[in-house]
Amino acid sequence: MSETLITLERVSKVYQVGEENFTALNGVSLEVGKGAFMSFVGPSGSGKTTLLNLIGGLDRPTSGSVLFQGANLENMSREQLAAYRRDNIGFIFQTYNLLPVYSVYENVLFPLILNGLKESQVRERVENMVVKVGLKDQINKKPAQLSGGQCQRVAIARALVKDPLLILADEPTANLDSENSYQVLELMRELNHEYKAAVIFSTHDEKVTRYIRREVRLEDGKVSWDKHRNGSEIET
Amino acid sequence: MIGFLFRGLLRDKSRFLFPFSVVTIGVALVVALVGFMEGVFMGMIDMTANLDSGHLRLVNKAFYDEEHLRPLDRSLASQQETRDWLTKHSAPDVDWSPRIRWGAILDVPDEQGETRSQTPVVGMAMDLQSPDSKEVQRLRLKSSVVEGSLPDKFNEMLMGIQLAEVLEVSVGQTVTLMGQSFDGGLVADNYQVVGLVRFGVTAMDKKMVLIDLASAQNTFYMEDMVTDWLGYFPPSADFDRYEEVKASMNTALVDWMQSPPKDWAKDDFPIVLSIRDHLNIGAIMDKFMTIKGFVVGIFTFLMILVLWNAGILSGIHRYGEMGLRLAFGEPHWKLVMTLAIEGVLIGNLGSLAGSLFGGAFAWTLQEVGLNMGDSFAQTGLMVNDVVRARVTLGGFIQGIVPGIFASVAGTLVASMAIFQRSEANLFRELEAG
Ligand SMILES: Nc1ncnc2c1ncn2[C@@H]1O[C@H](COP(=O)(O)OP(=O)(O)OP(=O)(O)O)[C@@H](O)[C@H]1O
Ligand SMILES: [Mg+2]
Repeated sequence: MSETLITLERVSKVYQVGEENFTALNGVSLEVGKGAFMSFVGPSGSGKTTLLNLIGGLDRPTSGSVLFQGANLENMSREQLAAYRRDNIGFIFQTYNLLPVYSVYENVLFPLILNGLKESQVRERVENMVVKVGLKDQINKKPAQLSGGQCQRVAIARALVKDPLLILADEPTANLDSENSYQVLELMRELNHEYKAAVIFSTHDEKVTRYIRREVRLEDGKVSWDKHRNGSEIET
Repeated sequence: MIGFLFRGLLRDKSRFLFPFSVVTIGVALVVALVGFMEGVFMGMIDMTANLDSGHLRLVNKAFYDEEHLRPLDRSLASQQETRDWLTKHSAPDVDWSPRIRWGAILDVPDEQGETRSQTPVVGMAMDLQSPDSKEVQRLRLKSSVVEGSLPDKFNEMLMGIQLAEVLEVSVGQTVTLMGQSFDGGLVADNYQVVGLVRFGVTAMDKKMVLIDLASAQNTFYMEDMVTDWLGYFPPSADFDRYEEVKASMNTALVDWMQSPPKDWAKDDFPIVLSIRDHLNIGAIMDKFMTIKGFVVGIFTFLMILVLWNAGILSGIHRYGEMGLRLAFGEPHWKLVMTLAIEGVLIGNLGSLAGSLFGGAFAWTLQEVGLNMGDSFAQTGLMVNDVVRARVTLGGFIQGIVPGIFASVAGTLVASMAIFQRSEANLFRELEAG
């Protein structure tokens, strides 16, 4: 494997539910290389979303540490974490979360505007991105006029347009039929290849595994296995 | 960034139109109401100043103390010397007018010369005859004389229209004034009623009689004497200046009294008053300011309340957008700041529209007026029967500032929730759609 992008060291997350403590993640250790294309699989409640949260700097682990290119997220303030997400991470959601008042073009433009860029500087970049995800003819449409698969492709373009090192996608295909799921995954893999952004996504969907180079299975907050596509399988 | 967000805002009707309308309506109401209140109030102040008190008033203290008796023996002599002093020691933009406040019995005879009716009247004497008299303009006498004309000869009189009706006096009638002269003797002098005046103020129309200053001086044996000097600022002058000039004049008076005009009595000692000292106008002014503050305050408060709720609604409406922006790495403070800027923009647009509506209403009421008939008559205040609004810059400011403030404050209060929103649940929240 090439350079390491993310390192998880014995990461645990304990939620307090009333009087009780609930352990959602229990000593997870992982390394994710630059440009990886991997998934977290596992039953509902196994901790996939929690893990993505921690990697994305949206939440902090109860114990253990998350390192991004060697920098420990634990040492970052709330603002620094925001900057970390802004600079390095693209998000894709199960329910797309496109902004309904904006066109496809503007939705893709949105993260660049948040990053302080001017529309005039990035118009071409945004248009190219939209073309790349195959929505050239939809560029001026509003999300309400698009199919689910098209919406998710807009979301992919939106996540990629700022050229992040890492894309986190929580169940990106859960709302799509299998035809659209395949297309979306195909697209993500292509773009992963082209843009060298590492992609980590969570999924229930066992049939999507054929696209994946590495599959980490979670069960009860623990890694039950970590399978690499080239054949080697590490059971834990 | 702001441009981008505002583009979205304008497209999202529910998010834009409601707060915009609230600000528009709120500002329109405040501008109209303040315009109306200022109109009524300033109308009263102007009327009182023009007819009765001036903005500043120089009067002998001894006269002032027993004013209700009209003690003409305490008048001030030496008009020219007094005028020179006033001009020098007030301010260049103050115009001084000599007046005599007199009181007398007015006797209306029948054809045989027998008394038909009799009534005590209070009157004012002022310069009505000189061609460039500022008093005629000030009291808009040319247009207020509804029958007859202005005096142009000695011993001619203008009478309030309602008084004339009560006394059954018509133009051309000769009446007799009986009163006390300057030196305490009884005087009787005939006057011809040459004009009937509708001041528009019921209190005046019912009891006012105006005669020319020179005639009054002749009737009451008051050669070169007047009871009052009334000073008038231009309309643009601020109330505060009245008090400033008054204070400096009262200081200068002390020096002047070291060597007063030689025709003055030994115990003559004038004082300078401002319109605030007249009747209870000062207290009314203060109350008016308080009430105006309340009105503006209540509207602002209501606007904030409504906009706060609008902000919460739009916050719910935009929950996804806010979550997304937090997830994408926009810091909380920046999110709140952009919302505040949106609030400013909506506040500005709403205020602009509200000013147009409210201003148009106030302007109409200023130009057309609203006849309140007799409803003010009982108050004894010199409120014009026809109420007119007054469109002032201040009125707009008092509407616009709260409009913008309410818009921003409402947004900020509503966006407190954003500050409390933690990133930890964003993924799960956003999954819920
Ligand atoms: N804020 C929270 N407070 C308490 N418990 C929580 C909280 N968030 C998650 N959990 C619990 O932690 C466990 C892991 O949740 P997580 O969302 O990571 O699961 P998941 O693998 O993503 O499941 P799914 O496939 O259903 O999305 C669950 O049992 C959940 O109930
Ligand atoms: Mg999940």
